[in-house]
Amino acid sequence: MITLLSAVFGLLFAALLLYLVRRDHLHISHGLGWTLAIVLSALLGFAPRIFDAVAEGLGVSYAPILGIALAIAALITKALLNDIEISKLRVRHQRLVQKIALLEAQLGEVNGRAPIDD
Amino acid sequence: MASEQHRPDASHSAIASTAANGAVILPALNEEAVVEDLVAAIRGAVDWPVWLIDDCSTDGTVAAALQAGARVIGLTSPLGAWGATQTGLREAASQNLDFVVTMDADGQHDPCDIAALLAPVIAGHCDVVIGSAVERGSVLRKFAWRLMRITSGLSCQDLTSGFRVLNAKAISLLASPPASCFDYQDVGVLLMLDQAGMRIREIPVTMTSRANGKSRVFSSWLRVATYMAQTLVLGTVKRRRPWQS
Repeated sequence: MITLLSAVFGLLFAALLLYLVRRDHLHISHGLGWTLAIVLSALLGFAPRIFDAVAEGLGVSYAPILGIALAIAALITKALLNDIEISKLRVRHQRLVQKIALLEAQLGEVNGRAPIDD
Repeated sequence: MASEQHRPDASHSAIASTAANGAVILPALNEEAVVEDLVAAIRGAVDWPVWLIDDCSTDGTVAAALQAGARVIGLTSPLGAWGATQTGLREAASQNLDFVVTMDADGQHDPCDIAALLAPVIAGHCDVVIGSAVERGSVLRKFAWRLMRITSGLSCQDLTSGFRVLNAKAISLLASPPASCFDYQDVGVLLMLDQAGMRIREIPVTMTSRANGKSRVFSSWLRVATYMAQTLVLGTVKRRRPWQS
């Protein structure tokens, strides 16, 4: 039953991601990565014995915890990558705001016009 | 690190500025009460343009600064004091200015000290001068500075002073994209200058209390704690390693 539930959940989530990409709510580069992750987890849901074999090989006595641990590691990695991207965007945003301010000041001095409202 | 404490030269006056190309940069947020008098005093002390970088003020700061003859550069999104200062530095770099003076717009810094800070930089004795007023700090602030010095390895006494003079080399460095990563003008910026081999000198100046008495940056203990945590970690990870000359 749990196998069926996790597979159905995975497929539904994959369909949601594809919908978000279609409606431009999610950039394709993110959508593709998430879709692959969800499809992979759905497929693993059909073959739980893979985790049993891997867990045994790693010396993990309770196999499901391996899946949970891997999922947490993947989420932490994803969150860290997001923060790295946000850091880069912050710098770009700051320099863009500075450049706009300088250009507006120069334009105002040349044309005598007030800056454009936000 | 080349950080030295010096007493101001008693023979300074308003100034050697005529021989060099420069500007005074004032990052400002809601300083309507003091900015007009401040800009006028600066223009009396040094014959360089005064650039007020408006960090999205909601009061009459811009009008007051314009009235006093400042050039106003208005940000479309608030960037904080360092982001605003860097805006001015980028303009200075694009105009190939020889020197800039950065000052707080809240009336704490005395324009009469500008000449003393400019003299050693114009003479080529150093690249950066910090107007230092360590006596202004409370016990807690002095303790905070000490922690910052320990974690960062910097030897400056006044790590948070915004009253500085920079030469063209320092302007170019601090206008660059890597300097846009910093939120504040203190440890990160000073470490960047130090590790680029800039000669930094401190000169004692007088600082008065803020005209409106309230810090923009440290408006609550939570913000102070966040600032200290960030600054100490930044200083630790960016400090010069023993094998770096």
